[in-house]
Amino acid sequence: MPILQSRRVLDLTNERGLLCGQILADLGADVIAVEPPGGSSARRIGPFAADVHDPERSLLWWSYSRNKRSITLDPTRTEGRDLLLRLAATSDFLIESFEPGFMAARGLAYHDLASINPSLVYVSITGFGQTGPKAHYADADLILLAAGGPLILGGDDDRPPVRLSVPQAYLHAGADAAVAAMVAHHERVRSGRGQHADIAAIQSVAIATQSGILSAPMNATEIRRLAGGLKLGPLDLPVIWPAKDGFISMTFLFGSALGVFTRKLMRYVCARGFCDEPTRDKDWIGYAEMLLSGREPLSEFERVKEIVRSFTRSHTKAELLDLALEHGFLMTPVYTISEVLSSEQLGSREYWRTIEDPELGTSYTVPGPFVKFSATPIEYRRRPPKIGEHNREVYIGDLKLSNEEFLKLERAGVI
Amino acid sequence: MNSEGPLADVKMLDFAWVMAGPAGTRMLADYGARIVRVESPTRIDTARTLQPHQNDRFGADSSGLFGNCNAGKLGIAIDIGNPRAREVILDLVRWADVVTESFSPKAMRKWALDYASLRNIRPDIIMLSTCLFGQTGPLRQIAGFGNMAAAIAGFSNLAGWPDRTATGVFGAYTDYIAPRYTAIAILAALEHRRRTGEGQYIDQAQAESAIHFLAPAILEYSANRRDPQRAGNTDRDVAPHGVYPAAGVDRWVAIVCRTDSEWRALCDAMAAPALGDDSRFITMRARIDNHTTLDAIIGAWTASRSAVEIEQLLQACGVPAYQVQNSAEAWRDTQLKHRGHFVEIEHPTIGRTTIEGPRSHLSRTPGRVRQAAPSLGRDNQYVLEKILGYDQDRISDLVVAGVFG
Repeated sequence: MPILQSRRVLDLTNERGLLCGQILADLGADVIAVEPPGGSSARRIGPFAADVHDPERSLLWWSYSRNKRSITLDPTRTEGRDLLLRLAATSDFLIESFEPGFMAARGLAYHDLASINPSLVYVSITGFGQTGPKAHYADADLILLAAGGPLILGGDDDRPPVRLSVPQAYLHAGADAAVAAMVAHHERVRSGRGQHADIAAIQSVAIATQSGILSAPMNATEIRRLAGGLKLGPLDLPVIWPAKDGFISMTFLFGSALGVFTRKLMRYVCARGFCDEPTRDKDWIGYAEMLLSGREPLSEFERVKEIVRSFTRSHTKAELLDLALEHGFLMTPVYTISEVLSSEQLGSREYWRTIEDPELGTSYTVPGPFVKFSATPIEYRRRPPKIGEHNREVYIGDLKLSNEEFLKLERAGVI
Repeated sequence: MNSEGPLADVKMLDFAWVMAGPAGTRMLADYGARIVRVESPTRIDTARTLQPHQNDRFGADSSGLFGNCNAGKLGIAIDIGNPRAREVILDLVRWADVVTESFSPKAMRKWALDYASLRNIRPDIIMLSTCLFGQTGPLRQIAGFGNMAAAIAGFSNLAGWPDRTATGVFGAYTDYIAPRYTAIAILAALEHRRRTGEGQYIDQAQAESAIHFLAPAILEYSANRRDPQRAGNTDRDVAPHGVYPAAGVDRWVAIVCRTDSEWRALCDAMAAPALGDDSRFITMRARIDNHTTLDAIIGAWTASRSAVEIEQLLQACGVPAYQVQNSAEAWRDTQLKHRGHFVEIEHPTIGRTTIEGPRSHLSRTPGRVRQAAPSLGRDNQYVLEKILGYDQDRISDLVVAGVFG
């Protein structure tokens, strides 16, 4: 029995919040995407399947709408609002990602809906939150990454900070929103009462500073960006290292927890003839302190890194991964997306799923379940819905509208 | 520790360490889950060694990362390898609803603390294991950090400039994503148990959770057979879309114009209304095609101005803009302050320090930071006496046996 079976979710989100509803849908909830007539704005965001600009072919929509149903409804029209209120009366969750105040202006704020359904968990996802001096700031992925701290940490030190080329901010917010929804649901089971969850992407992205955002209040050195790594004070600490046929990501750090790995690697590098024994036998536990105190010149660290580079560069990514497995080195290959899809590890775990779209005559691979549950495995039950695909099912089947009422709403462009 | 909050009825035994696992259970601690976190008395949690450190002074409790990931939890230090430790751990398993761990797969089996063993003691136990690549498969034993999962999951290659090798995404990127799915999976399993009485085992591969944040890129390949490439700060559908220099050293401002009207508003703000009629930039398509020229024009305007002034000027006319904030600026940011993002707490060994507050705001049952992260073994006595009900003789006996190091 799916975990959230028989729980209904009204998902009014656009590109700012699709992930939250999909997580609840993966857990078995009946998630109804409530789209404006003509379809969600998320459907107009590319890339598109076969590069055909068509709201039924948006790969963003496909990515985050699996397991949902879709109805159309114009919440800005009175009849649309009434339908939404009727649906909300029997729903367990509502998720929305409009500009703060949009829902309230239409009589659809949390307190409006709570008065007809006190147990409703109402989740709002925005860039900056529902209130505050910048609540109405205009947003975008890049803007939120700049505001919440991760952007300044990424990129080459001789160029502007740079983002990941796949938008991330609203995914962080959407995942936080799903956590909040589940916490509120857990409490509702005892109290019978719902509540309003207010999620702000500016806070959600801050986790991607790895607590670096605390440097100033903790009176600690700001972490700074370095191509393929980071700078800490005078130390350039690379993470991306060259291989014969590409790059690897490697943790090459010092201290009581990490220095032991570096010591192990340096022994191997030396045994393979890449360096002399005094270099091998440096104090890798205390090495950062030696560099910071000046007992070890920074130029010596540069020489060490060049030795390690000459070692990694003489091996392929696959060879280095084998060494990591055999010796416990902290290194993995940097994969392109096609390499990710052909990864032996993910394949052996039967991670990938195929979504069939018989109407379009196509099928495509998507990320598999986010975790493996032993008793309640996540199932991909439905392909992403077409615009308003479930209008009849929901309006006539669930809301018990007559066929005439349904057609009238359709003609009026409400649904 | 008093029990209140929406998760006050949830009891957890947490063996997870470093970032990904602890950051997930921290979210539950904010909402009142009672979490007993187990640390080794001898093998230091790597997170304790990672920056930032209070006043840049390294010590066992100085790490902001550790403080952030473990606030609100109880901490015991116990030598799992000690034969007498087992009775304490098994009593905690009997007490707990959920057991979490983040070792490489064979460790819990070695200690006979794997799911099959725990289920014998507590048939409805929920156990979650989280590691980089999961409990099965050829890479299951790869131990390490989120930067390594980020590389294999495809993130590292997609950050950087098209004319250079990948700069890689900052830090242990999958450790930022997986914690949400950890918390969700635990709450989902608790819901299933409430409805059916059945516990279960959850195998979380952090890479697999994180790939959901790359789904559009995965589909670009699986549907269109195109391998996505890194694109600097450009966007396929929007220009201008960039990070521009501002006055000062390493100072930057992010600016995006999502529509023609935002572009015209930017032109007006730059006191260059003629640009709005320039045929090179008249449509979104034209701006995307000519973005190099466009970025140079905008960059020339921003370079002599302060980032925060540009942010305020452009936002006042509805154009998305923000200074690219470092920690000092984020700390002063009025919106983050309004949201309670930074929380000052008293720490018994390092004094007054700061951690991040709960990110999500629940109206009726708000999350809050209940207590500073534990110093090593801070709550040994409390857990043994108050949670397990051991008398002082038994506790002394365990101390003498070296259970606590």
